[in-house]
Amino acid sequence: MDMNEKAQLPETKEGKLVAEILEKAPYAEGSVRRERRVEFKVPADRIKEFLELASEKFEMLMQISVVDWIKEGEFELVYQLWSVSESVHAFVRTRVPRENAKLPTVMDIWPVAETYEREAHEFFGIAFEGNPRLGPFILEPREYEKHPLRKDFNTLSYAKTIYGEDFDRYDESKTNYVI
Amino acid sequence: MSEKDGFINYELQEFKLFEPLFRWARKKSLWIVAFCTGCGGIEMPPLANARYDFERFGIMPNPAPRMGDLFLITGYVTPKTLKRIIITYEMMQDPKYVLAHGSCPINGGVYWDSYNVVKQLDKYIPIDVAIAGCMPRPEAVMDGIMEIMRKIEDGTADGWKRYRENYEYYRKNQDELFGEGWREKEARRWLAWI
Repeated sequence: MDMNEKAQLPETKEGKLVAEILEKAPYAEGSVRRERRVEFKVPADRIKEFLELASEKFEMLMQISVVDWIKEGEFELVYQLWSVSESVHAFVRTRVPRENAKLPTVMDIWPVAETYEREAHEFFGIAFEGNPRLGPFILEPREYEKHPLRKDFNTLSYAKTIYGEDFDRYDESKTNYVI
Repeated sequence: MSEKDGFINYELQEFKLFEPLFRWARKKSLWIVAFCTGCGGIEMPPLANARYDFERFGIMPNPAPRMGDLFLITGYVTPKTLKRIIITYEMMQDPKYVLAHGSCPINGGVYWDSYNVVKQLDKYIPIDVAIAGCMPRPEAVMDGIMEIMRKIEDGTADGWKRYRENYEYYRKNQDELFGEGWREKEARRWLAWI
């Protein structure tokens, strides 16, 4: 399978970059999406190892974004990396179960990961082991406990309890909007 | 504020004759507290530039709340911003006027079901003039400013009086949102009398 994938990779700088990384990390899957855009899928237990390897080519961590796949019961974390030397943008995808989601921190590779991990922790409740500053960050402590960007967080009922119901914009039949 | 015969006078009795003059002077020298929240902060520079030029009405942006008269709420208000708004509002000297831009302070606007945007700002601080729109054009903001100048002149811009008289009501709503004791915890740094 490894050999097949390498055969599919194009003869561009992106293809060579992916092939080079996959050679050192055979547990990952890699593909080229378009010019200057590559993608990796990595199992969650080896993500730290993979990112350490990838950081030789990809010097910058641009963002950690989280997708909540509620039907599959999983969070998908996308580490977005930028290679200054090659001008290539990489998505490193990994999936963890929603219940007690845990991942190792990547602060020792890119110190900027601290902020992104705090944000992912606050909005989705993912614990990053080794990050010392997890806790209420952007939101009020009350919202922090609820992890408001999870798909099973009911924003409307939360807004009703916090801001009061004496307000006709909340009419859910959508026949009585003020605006 | 002096209390006599059961009703409150906010004006000094000695100068009651000059009250129309004071009102005219207040109307013609509105200083804005430079506190921009949400999208309306971007709408302020056109107002200050040559085309609309609010300085011809004596309006001046001013960084210090203690010298400000007019408090512009320029967009949506999150609970975290609302704390700062209340602190800034209480720091301002009387008389003080609040002008709310856009639909978000009125009823949440497009953030009507958001967990993080205050619906009805009127429950937490008194508003004198609210401008509808998302966002209002500079013409609409100028119209709101003309309206507040008119209300100052005829004495109906009385939000600061309502805040004093109904302080318990506003205080109760604020405490419901932030929890009891938030003033002692977070506002004491700025409000020395707490």
